[in-house]
Amino acid sequence: MPAQLRPHAAVDGAGICVMLIAIPTEEKACRSPGRLAVRVNIMDQHHHHFEVGGAHLSRLEDLRLIKGEGCYSADWNLPNQVHAAFLRADRAHAKIVSISTAAARKAKGVLGVFTGEDAVKAGYVKPLSFLTFAGKDGKKANISERPALTADRVRFVGDLVAMVVAETALQAQDALELIEVEYQDLPVVVSPRAAVAPGAPLLHDNVPGNLAFEQEAGDAAAVDAAFAKAAHVTKLRLDVTRVAPNPMEPRACAVAFDAGSGKFTIHSPVQGINMMRMQLAAYTGVADDRIDVVARDVGGGFGQRSIGYPEYVALMLAAKSLGRPVKWVSSRSEGFMSDSHGRANYIDGELALDRDGTFLGMRIDWIADLGAYLHPAGPVSPMRNPVTCLNGVYKTQALFGRWRVVLTNTAPVSAYRGAARPEIAFAIERLVDEAAAQMNIDPAEIRRRNFIPTDAFPYKTPTGSVYDIADFHGVLDKAMKLADVAGFPKRRAESEKRGMIRGLGFSTVIENSGAGMFPKDEARLEVHADGTVTAYSVSHSQGQGHETTFAQIIGDGLGISAERVKLRQGIGEQGLIGNHTGGSRTIVGAGTVCHIAAKKLVEVATPMAAEQLGCEPSQVAYAHGEFKSTASNKKITLGELAAKKPLTVTGEGKFGSTFPNGCHVAEIEIDPQTGVTEVLSYVTVDDCGTVINHTIVEGQMHGAVAQGWGQIFTENVVYDPDTGQLLTGSFMDYAMPKAGWIKDIQIAEHTTFGTISPLGVKGMGESGCTASLAALTNAVMNALRPMGVPPPDMPLTAHKLWQAISAAKKGK
Amino acid sequence: MYAFQYHKAKSLNEAGDILGKDEEARPLSGGMTLIPTLKQRLAQPTQLVDIAGLAELAGVENKNGVLTIGAATRHADVAASKVVQQAIPALACLAAGIGDPQVRNRGTLGGSVANNDPAADYPSAVLALNAKVITNRREIAADDYFQGMFTTALEPGELIVRIAFPLPKAAAYCKFPHPASGYAMAGVFIADTAQGVRVAVTGAGASGVFRWAEAEKALAKGISAAAIEKLTLAADDCNEDIHGTREYRAQLVKVMATRAAAALSGKKLHGQDHIEG
Repeated sequence: MPAQLRPHAAVDGAGICVMLIAIPTEEKACRSPGRLAVRVNIMDQHHHHFEVGGAHLSRLEDLRLIKGEGCYSADWNLPNQVHAAFLRADRAHAKIVSISTAAARKAKGVLGVFTGEDAVKAGYVKPLSFLTFAGKDGKKANISERPALTADRVRFVGDLVAMVVAETALQAQDALELIEVEYQDLPVVVSPRAAVAPGAPLLHDNVPGNLAFEQEAGDAAAVDAAFAKAAHVTKLRLDVTRVAPNPMEPRACAVAFDAGSGKFTIHSPVQGINMMRMQLAAYTGVADDRIDVVARDVGGGFGQRSIGYPEYVALMLAAKSLGRPVKWVSSRSEGFMSDSHGRANYIDGELALDRDGTFLGMRIDWIADLGAYLHPAGPVSPMRNPVTCLNGVYKTQALFGRWRVVLTNTAPVSAYRGAARPEIAFAIERLVDEAAAQMNIDPAEIRRRNFIPTDAFPYKTPTGSVYDIADFHGVLDKAMKLADVAGFPKRRAESEKRGMIRGLGFSTVIENSGAGMFPKDEARLEVHADGTVTAYSVSHSQGQGHETTFAQIIGDGLGISAERVKLRQGIGEQGLIGNHTGGSRTIVGAGTVCHIAAKKLVEVATPMAAEQLGCEPSQVAYAHGEFKSTASNKKITLGELAAKKPLTVTGEGKFGSTFPNGCHVAEIEIDPQTGVTEVLSYVTVDDCGTVINHTIVEGQMHGAVAQGWGQIFTENVVYDPDTGQLLTGSFMDYAMPKAGWIKDIQIAEHTTFGTISPLGVKGMGESGCTASLAALTNAVMNALRPMGVPPPDMPLTAHKLWQAISAAKKGK
Repeated sequence: MYAFQYHKAKSLNEAGDILGKDEEARPLSGGMTLIPTLKQRLAQPTQLVDIAGLAELAGVENKNGVLTIGAATRHADVAASKVVQQAIPALACLAAGIGDPQVRNRGTLGGSVANNDPAADYPSAVLALNAKVITNRREIAADDYFQGMFTTALEPGELIVRIAFPLPKAAAYCKFPHPASGYAMAGVFIADTAQGVRVAVTGAGASGVFRWAEAEKALAKGISAAAIEKLTLAADDCNEDIHGTREYRAQLVKVMATRAAAALSGKKLHGQDHIEG
């Protein structure tokens, strides 16, 4: 009985109610996984043995947040502030013939109305792009301007046409309706495959064929040779649909401008203040030391909150022009339209195998739909991350891929939890599974035959990555055992008796983490007289629990309890260099420099303590927040030392790539009468290196697997193909995964210690997405394949599976 | 949201007066449809007349073979009511499955029936149970009350006061919820009433809630899953959108009806436990 679908009550007497509906379960959504955690000892002696690591420590920030004491972007209210509202395009593609703002300007409370003309005049016209490298044939990307308010033409439903600023938000919203826009409609293109076809409507004058960039990677000749000698070739279409990330916190932004110093202060959701400042500075041409980004709590990011959006830039324009702070809070409807979307990668893949199922080569043709404009990192991640792990966990030597970055009349797309790591893992693992089925080879066995062996690390891949360390065989074996794969045929037969179709599928995946775009990561520690420590970081938590993990790392390094360490993030005046939170890299970068800073603090404080204790530094021993003279037994605590002299250090480090990996096993059952898939069990075995806090790792896994579940079964952003209207613009039509839909996730670890960080950490924020897309799809295909059902497109909605099953039944 | 006047009605008469005089005024009960509509600026009423607290619209009573529920009774209260649970448990269960806890704690029976959303749960119960909709002006039989999507027999200024459900011999409701909204993609309410077996379908009809005549006929001789399994609902009678074709909705109606009938006949179907997330 799935917890979420239990009949609500079956009452004897006059009536019987068979309520078969989704009801949030009272049962714990997930089995307590700690008992299953087993660590293997592929232990590198050089690694720091994390003393408090592995704790099931509850998050230090939770009480504060649960009590409503968080400070999110909409909670910032600035003295004398006024409010903005945005007029957005109600159509997907049109020329703006004229805009009449006269009536709006006269409306009650209105202080200003801004249009594209103002944005152009201010020079707030071109977002930063990280797509600076050369592509195929040495060609650079065609990147268009995007004035903070669009100047001449709207290119997607939700595009910014005008901004009204008024004394109240309601006045601003009322005045929006008084703006008259005359449009001249243009033809619309929504599908990225249609957008690159000859004769497609063009979005930007400087982007011929809607193709902003093209890149190739790998060895085309070697792949051709591999396919020529292959005994078997598996081909699949592997589209990974467009989703709306939907963080719980809506976007909001408050901007103040100080005419005296020429400085902007900006409060918005961030994944790191440096990343936000860099983008807003580039967009506006304002020097980055004139932009102070200040953020506290962030209610979910998933990549979507790392962007310096045009709305923020438009608010800068208004704040400067009006001389008053300007605030805007997005509605959820605006969010669906204009927050960056995720995935939207359209992939064709081919795998060449020899007679024994050895992978000879793989070829990928990848279209990344970036929507109407390029977000700064949007076009980079669908190329960079897949190329980094193009061979997956396998020895495949011949690899080739072609990537096309394509523009369509849809909302701009950017990184979403995993940032194309899930897509390449999905492509590889679907190909591997289909090939195994076509060749009648056991899916675990075909993987074992092709795994990079455990003794081959560090392993240089054909695309130039160096996988530091992993044990794919160990990960797979443990997952198979936990999921009781051996007992599956019996369970399948039992389902069949009940008229249900059961399937089991898995994925064995790897992803890159660690390397960042800033020159280094820094963390600063400041000791107070009461012995507590404040830690400063620019890697911002959007819910990951940095206040806990960083405190644990620092507490461990200093031998004091984590509760004595308070993290402050998003404090611009600390001037720290460092990466934002993203790419599963925070623990590797920001986390490791917390450890380095703690060690450095003891080093720096030791001579200071020696002076106070009247001995030589060599005679000072440090433990648990206390320095002791081995000569006199005299002691001084960190706090006492800090009371005498400021005690502050900055730890820094630069880190390359490390490679979290894992195996997920999903077991599902499909009701052929309705097409509904129920996930009966879900097993994860992950190697994320050293675990600092199991509770947080488990929470990350639950969330990421749920996001994978959503993507595979219900989530899908749908635009009308003819008009470009957004058809899934609210939670009435866009189905997020709900609590209780996944009843059981068993989480286990299989640790090899990463070699990039002295902590042995690898990162794990995204691995649940990376592994779950393929594991869930493979399980569904394992169920349906015997009926002759061809692989359906994502998402595998009940409706679609019912149609596929019905068609297969009719065909027989 | 546009500006409007808020008026908390002191009596049903007062509410009726205001609404009768001002065509642009709207009654506010739980507000679970009205408030989102206002927030999206899709409606611009002059005033909202809050009737949620009126004593005349409250109360649940089981008397002389009729269960009467006040129009302002919230879904959560219907679900939790011992009186409802004993009289018509299927109705209590239906209420417990509407929307989500927030909606159930605000939305009301009268609000839902007055709105007549084609995918709402309550209309199927009102129709299948052959209930009477009692307004501030008259009594309306369920068969006369529902007149297509979002359309009812209610006249301007007319307010539902309570709904009277004659107790059935047995009743069951089976629903396939939309994964996003929780509304019915197909919901089938089967009631064995003094006037015979009545089968009402919500969520799937091309013009809102409807009685499935063939199913009623098939079940007249005895309620069983087998009787439904032989039927086919014409797909043309069903609605279609991005979430499901007509054919799929017709299939869901049949499956939900089969499962409701199986529950009523005390026979558990294979796979019955695995319905519809």
